[in-house]
Parts: sequence; C-alpha cells; structure tokens
Amino acid sequence: MGFIELNVLNNAAQNVALGIDLGTTNSLGAMWKDGRPIVLHPEGDSGYVPSAIHFPEKGMPAVGRRARELALVDPAHTLFSIKRFMGRGLAETREDAASVPCPLSENENGVVQFEMRGRKFTPQELSALILMKVHDQACKALGGIEVTKVVITVPAYFDEAQRQATRDAARIAGLDVLRIINEPTAASLAYGLDKRKQGNVAVYDLGGGTFDVSVLRIEEGVFQVLATHGDTHLGGDDFDRALVEVARKELSALLAPNVLEDRAFLQSLRLAAEKCKIELSNAPEAYMHLAMPESGVQWRRNFTRGEAEALWAPLIERTLHSCQRALADAKLKVAQIDEVVLVGGSTRIPAVRERVERFFNRKPHVELNPDEVVALGAAVQAHVLMGGTREVLLMDVTPLSLGLETMGGAVAKIINRNSTIPCQATEGFTTYADNQTGIEFHIVQGERELAKDCRTLGRFKLSGIPPMPAGMPKVAVRFHIDANGMLTVTAKEESTGKSARIEVQPMNGLTDAQVESMLNAAYRHARDDFDARRAADLRTEIGVMVRATERGLGHAAGQLDRETMLDIQDALVAGRAALEGALPDATTLQRVRDQLERATLPLAAALMDSVAKAALSGKKLSEV
Amino acid sequence: MSAFAAKCSKCGAELESPLGCTACGTLAAPEREPTPFEVFGLAPSFALDAAQLRRKLLRLGRVLHPDYFGAADEATRALAERNSARLHRAHDVLADDAARADWLVRHLGGPSENEQREMPKAFLLEVLEWNEQLEAARESAPGSRERAALADLEAELKQQRERALSAVARLLEPLPPSAAPTLREARSQLNALRYLDNTLAQIEALALGAPSSH
Repeated sequence: MGFIELNVLNNAAQNVALGIDLGTTNSLGAMWKDGRPIVLHPEGDSGYVPSAIHFPEKGMPAVGRRARELALVDPAHTLFSIKRFMGRGLAETREDAASVPCPLSENENGVVQFEMRGRKFTPQELSALILMKVHDQACKALGGIEVTKVVITVPAYFDEAQRQATRDAARIAGLDVLRIINEPTAASLAYGLDKRKQGNVAVYDLGGGTFDVSVLRIEEGVFQVLATHGDTHLGGDDFDRALVEVARKELSALLAPNVLEDRAFLQSLRLAAEKCKIELSNAPEAYMHLAMPESGVQWRRNFTRGEAEALWAPLIERTLHSCQRALADAKLKVAQIDEVVLVGGSTRIPAVRERVERFFNRKPHVELNPDEVVALGAAVQAHVLMGGTREVLLMDVTPLSLGLETMGGAVAKIINRNSTIPCQATEGFTTYADNQTGIEFHIVQGERELAKDCRTLGRFKLSGIPPMPAGMPKVAVRFHIDANGMLTVTAKEESTGKSARIEVQPMNGLTDAQVESMLNAAYRHARDDFDARRAADLRTEIGVMVRATERGLGHAAGQLDRETMLDIQDALVAGRAALEGALPDATTLQRVRDQLERATLPLAAALMDSVAKAALSGKKLSEV
Repeated sequence: MSAFAAKCSKCGAELESPLGCTACGTLAAPEREPTPFEVFGLAPSFALDAAQLRRKLLRLGRVLHPDYFGAADEATRALAERNSARLHRAHDVLADDAARADWLVRHLGGPSENEQREMPKAFLLEVLEWNEQLEAARESAPGSRERAALADLEAELKQQRERALSAVARLLEPLPPSAAPTLREARSQLNALRYLDNTLAQIEALALGAPSSH
C-alpha cells in the first residue's frame, strides 16, 4: 500500500504530482500509485472531463459533462475543441471558426478571443477552466487532497506558441507545471515498452483535433525519440466535418440559407455527425439525426461505413504521409519498426486501424484504452519527476527547426528539427553602426526556406550593448530549448561580459502581465464560488435558527423581559427577510446569523432553565 | 585550455565528464564551455567508436537529465537543463561524421566553410550534371522517367558521399598539427559532403511529395 505524504497544515500532498491529458475532446487526470499509473476518477464517475464549456445566462460557466449535455439544448452558448485555437491568431483559425457558435476576435498580441455573453475569453482562459475541472475531479478522487504539481501533455507537433499557451492555461488555473510532455511519448511510457530489451516503436496518435506520429528507439529503460511528425489540425473533428459537409449539401434544399450558416445549427449538426461517426465504428451503418423543432426540421440520413470511409480516406492518407516523413527522419525503413502503438479516440475507427496495420505491415497494440493511455503516461513521467525512479530515461525531441531571419528574408537554421532536448545553440551578433546599442532579430520555427513561410516565434530586441565602433561588440545569444520543448533566449556581450537584455514580444501569446491578471480573475471567480457556497450554507443555517426560535418562543416567551423580546423580534424580521427573494451576499448573511445568535442567547438560557426544571419535576424532555 | 576538476566534489570519484559524476549523480558546473570531446571524456580524434559513444550518452543522460531534478531547487534544475543541452549538442557533433570533421578542422585552426568555399575540382564538373538531373526531375510529374532516374542519382550521390568521407578520414587520421595545409584539403572535401547531403535531402523531399501546409 502506498502512502501519500500530507502536510497537515494545508492538506497538500508533498511528494505527488498529477498527470493531465488536456485533450481536444476529453481531458483526464492520472497519478502514480502503488507501483503503477492509475486514472483518477471520483466514485461512480469515469473521470473523463469532456473539453466543453457552456455559458449560462447568469453565473459561472459549466465545464465538462454538464456542458456537453447543455450543448444539446443550447448549442449557441457551448464551446468545444478549444485546443485547436491554442497559440493561434485569428487568421490561422478561419477553418475552425466555422464550427464555433460565437464571434471571434483578436487581442492586441494576436491571441484569439471568443466573444460569449458579452465577455471575451482567450483559449488559455477556457483551457484553464477545463484544467481546473480535471484537477478538481482528481483531488476529489484522492479524498480531497490538494495536489497542485502537474505534468501536462501536448501534441508532439505543437510549436512554441502552442506549448506556451498550454503552460499559461495551467498557470491561470493555479497549477504548478513540472513538465510539458509530448502525448505519443507519454503513451509509450504507459505501455511499459521499456520491459522489452530493445526495439523501434512507432506511436500513431490520432486524437480529437491533432495527429502525431513518433518513432522511438527503446533500450533498457531509455525512451529515445528519433523523429516526430504530425499535424496539429487533423483529428476526429475533421472526420466529423466530412459528414457535416454532406449533410449541409443535402439540407440546402430543405432549409433557408441563413439557417444553413447559423452557428447554433452548425453546432447541432456537428454533434449529430460525431454521434454517427462513433456508431459507425461499431456497426456497418448508422443514422445521422437532426431534430430542430423550432424550424420544423426532422432529418435523418443513413451512412454506410463504406460511404463514410470514402469521405475519410484523404484524411487517413495525410496521417500516413506524416508516418513516412517521420520514418525518413529517423532513418528507418518500415520493416525496422518492431512495434506499433495506437493512441487517441479516433484510432477506434476501423478504417484507421486497417490502414495503419497495412502501412506498417504489423498488428498494432491496442491493449490499453486509447483515451486513457496519454494521461497514464503523464502520471509515469510525474513519478519520475518527483524522484520516484531513475530507471526510465526520456529523450524527446523538438518537432520543428528553429531559425533566424537573415538579410534578404532567408532562414538560417540554428537548431534542427528532431534534435534531442534539452538542446542549445549559440550565435554571435555584432553591430552595423558605430555606437549602436541595440540589435533586433526575428526568430522563426518551421522547415521552409523563407522566414515569411515559417511561424514567427517573436521579434527579440537586444539592448544595453555598450557603445563601441561598428562590428566591435561581440554579442553571444544562446537559444536553449528545455525539456518541455520550450525556448529561452539569453544574451551576453563578450568583450565586457555584460548580460544584454532581451525583450520578447510574444506572437499569438499572452504577456506575463496578462497571465497574471487572468490568474487574479480566476482567483476572484474561485472566491465568488466559495462565497456563493458559504452564502447558501448560511441561509440554511438561518432557516434552522428562525424555526427553532419560533418554536422556543412558544415555550419560554413568558420568561423573557421586554427588551430581550424586542431584540428577538428584530432578529427574526431580519432572518425571515434573508430567507426570501434573491440570495444576499455572505457578509450580510453572516451579520443576520450573528444577530440572531446574540438576540436568542437569553431565550436559549431560559429554555435550558425550563428543561432543567422539567427534569427536576419528573417530566419527560419531549414534553417540554 | 585549463583542465577541469578531475574528481567529484561530493564523492571524490574520478569524473568521466566535466558535467557531472556518474558515480553519485552530482551535477558539476564547468568553469568554461567544454569541447564536445571533453563532454564525453574523449581525446579529439576523427575515428570514433559509435557504440561506446552511445553507451556514454545514455550513462551521462541518466545523471544529467532535468527529469531527475523535478523536485530540486531552481539553480540545480537550471544546471541540469544546461548540462543536458551541452551533452546533447556535443553528441550531435560527435555522432555525425561530417559535423565531427567540421569541428576538428575548425579546432585545429583550419578554414571555415566561409573562408574557403572551394570543392575538389573533379567533383565540380559532376555537380553541374547532377543539378541538371535534379532540376529535370523537379519539373516532371511523379511517375515520370525523370523522377524514376532519381533512384540512380541517389545511389551515385551516396557512393560519392562514401568517397568524400574516406578522403576526410585519410586527411584527419592521425590528427594533423594545427594549421596544417591538409586542413584546407579536408575543408574542400567537407564542402563536397555538404553539397551531397543537401542534394540527397532534396531528393528525399521530392520522393515524399510536397510538404504539408503546416
């Protein structure tokens, strides 16, 4: 039996950390316990938190299963697949925006914002809500123990901006992120593939919104990623969309054009397509249903597996193309792959399994639940990070090359894709003009040759260079990609040994100040939540006190002086008022409760007195 | 160059690498940036035992990796990050024949690729022909005769690569003295090698089809 060490003062666990899979469709928490990773779920609950958020007219957003349920009745105020927007600007999300039921905008740093019920939410804040829900469920499963250290998984092909957005989401949720780990790598950890002496493994991970393939070499507990490839915009959502497109075409004869473009209608259609897709994994044919009583539409359409598979074939081919690229980068042939592992809910689609099996010419592993394996692997990694074992060594890679824009707009690569992380590179810079004290440079991520075709990570400004003739200063800029796959840049002027200052303007990312204010807002919300609960508890208590006082007065009113009676009457009026109408705030309720308590002290004494007298006179207590 | 501490400050064991102690797992902060060979406790040499290098990589990885310092203080975590990055960078240089040769040529005071851009003369004539073949294939549809010819070109370039690499090995084994004229020759072979690797990568990209939009 394993024990969780508790700090008795704050009920916080000292030596444990959670593994969290923050998925496009579902999110899940897991932990290392008794020598193995387990999924954390409160009793009678699967623990899966659907990555959905519903915004009611008033009050706090509903997250998870409740939000999913509410999406059926109120699709216009429910958001899904927020992960597809992480670290992205408005221009890049046009395709996904079509299935969002609310308007989108962009903040001053190019971060997408969802405009819902008159408020703007960034994907980071929305993901924070999901993380808080997963965290809450996990802590409940642990019997109320507060664990704040977490390992969070991301698609291996996530770039810097997407990783940073994930880390910011966790910060907003008040979590302490020990590590960001790649999903396929986590899955390989969960499979315990280190038990085999040596071999090459391909992990094929097709989730709700993203696709990754990682090729690993495993030997004696070392998980060395040789290459990774993928598409952060290819997943189950796209399979749904293929069905939605068919439905829209066929419905165009039945519905007005404005209905066909309606966001709520599209959301309902997407949910119907998703249901149909899932049924098709278990049956040779399935119906797609759409019921919209307000428009008088009752629509039903049969899809055979064959028809759906024809629509999906190009998507599956794209994943196999990524597999080829990963193999080429790993310098391996298909025949040299010893094991294939399937991860992600979308690998339940029979056509996906068949094509992967045919591509690798090998039966893939499906023993572990593809929806749980990533969270379980994150829990293994959390165990390693907490000092649990040195038997496992994870050597992951950075998925994309890092480069600097040179004169003329070309890219000079400084760190190649598939470099083992942590990794570093140092570049020398100098000035072009006399007494120049600053240098600006543009850092990009991607494989294309021109900077404009790569993704901008940021424009960095080096300042504080001592004034010298042109070409004299020698500034060494170090680029370090850490074990999370995230970049830090530091600079030093070598002739003076002074550290130069680097300012980063995040692209499609939040500034520290923004994260901070969101964190404060999240605390405020948590505080509001706490106050609301306390108010409800106080109101219940006041109700009990009012009824008890009324009953007590019936017995002992005669024994109280006039002043006391007036106090009690005043307190009762206040108490009854607090029980009617809208819930007053907790502070007011606390005052009312205290007033009642104070005023009824003499009554309680009188009642005690009559109880004592009754006991002496031989009456039963119940008769008092 | 100054030498690094020979013994672990904590357990006194002999240090295999200036980055940390494989005996007790303590990290070490080197006084200056160690060379790739120093990181692995090896003497500079073009000839290298690949299996030994890999064993050392995994052994040092198990000491330095930041995963093992998740609960440590920030300075220790930062050192683990830094030392692991040094280890991996050094491994990238040593594990790749061309990168290792390039490092040795620079280290011995030979010319960089910017200082000396020539390739071997006999090689240059063939480059023109290879470029033409590649261009023709690029402009033809997949499945065409020009594309099919790429397989032959690829085989020929790989052969050329072997030849250039053997030439580099002959020039660098044993290691020539600093600033020796052979370093210029080694550089021109390395330039050929770089051209071959770029061209081979282009052939591979053509064979895999157009890059995805992401």
